[in-house]
Amino acid sequence: MSAVPQAVPALVIRVLVHVTDPVRREVLRQLVIDAGHLPVDSPMDADAVLSDQVHAGFAAMPEHSGQGLFTPRELEVLGAIGDGLTNKMIARRLEISPHTVKFHVESLLRKLGARTRAEAVAKAREHRLSNTVEL
Amino acid sequence: MTELLEQFSSELAARTAALQGATAAIRRARERHLSAIVWRPDVVVASEQSLPERDEFELVMPGGTQAAAKLAGRDPGTNIAVLRLSQPASPPVLVPGETQAGALALALGADGTGGVSARLGLVNLAGTQWHSVAGGLIDRRIVLDLRLGRAEEGGPVFSAAGAFLGMSTLGPRARVLVIPAATLERIVPILLKEGRVARGWLGVALHPVAVPDALRETAGQASGMMVMSLAEGGPAAKAGIVAGDIVLSVNDAAASGFRRIAGQFAADSIGRKAALRVIRGGNLLSLDAVIEARPPT
Repeated sequence: MSAVPQAVPALVIRVLVHVTDPVRREVLRQLVIDAGHLPVDSPMDADAVLSDQVHAGFAAMPEHSGQGLFTPRELEVLGAIGDGLTNKMIARRLEISPHTVKFHVESLLRKLGARTRAEAVAKAREHRLSNTVEL
Repeated sequence: MTELLEQFSSELAARTAALQGATAAIRRARERHLSAIVWRPDVVVASEQSLPERDEFELVMPGGTQAAAKLAGRDPGTNIAVLRLSQPASPPVLVPGETQAGALALALGADGTGGVSARLGLVNLAGTQWHSVAGGLIDRRIVLDLRLGRAEEGGPVFSAAGAFLGMSTLGPRARVLVIPAATLERIVPILLKEGRVARGWLGVALHPVAVPDALRETAGQASGMMVMSLAEGGPAAKAGIVAGDIVLSVNDAAASGFRRIAGQFAADSIGRKAALRVIRGGNLLSLDAVIEARPPT
């Protein structure tokens, strides 16, 4: 089967990004213009509204099953990955062998269900935010 | 059939009209508002998480009259804030009632001009008591199967029989929760009297971690809570706890779950000892802290 080129009407999606900080708002506005898009000013003009003010909501105290928790060493390795360090650099910082670092990184990726180091850092941050309680 | 539907519809409309005197609007900036419950003639209850940090508020009462109110107290633990009206209103008497999963719930809000907004849904879940992340004890876990606008949060929720179930509250992912009437009955008088709800405080941020294999036998447990940060001059800091310590137990309650140790910090814990068993640098340590009252946030 071959693809038949069709006349598709241009798809226009207008997104209103609500940014509270005026400096960031101006930077974002300039980026939108530079990219060849037209900035919208009111929610009425937008098909979707995004906001930087996340309404977290009233939440229950988190509880964990005890499964898949990180060890203190894994948390250190995770912090080092977040700082942009390579395995070799992490080994030097934590004074352990690169082989051990590789072992920890593999364990971290598995526990987080992440494929890349960047994904692991993002997922770990989310996990940490929702699983830290102040007492 | 048509008759039945009409009857259902007009009953709901009549109920909404009869109870709308229990809803008020609290003005926010830029033409926005949030909803509140007229709890007693001179007392208004609102959702703490959405109430701006102020001491004086302007309200639009049922019917559209303006009213001034002063903050009487707020409790992030149970998401309850209480305001005192300068002029008494005449709300309908709220008769508390129970509910169960599958029952109907009518959630009312204020439209900001003296009118009412209504939402109808099923009680999606009616469970037992739970702790909020801020440490408050909520008497029942009630989740509603309906959507709620930001401005409608904080309004009263009623059963099909017109009994008062509690205050609507937005939970994570915009789920609609109800702070039960029983929790309001418990907390509102404390807030009117004290302005806040006292809770025990250790001054630490904890994150669950696996105890390293080599220490598992010494620790006697597979998981603990790592101290991520400390409040300067707080009870834990004074007791010598440092960031990176792994807390294994608090007063013999194993630090294997947040709820287990949260139970150690009720209001009556203030002034009592918290015996902490921690791992630091591969060694087991015992440190004693004195629980203090959680400072206002």
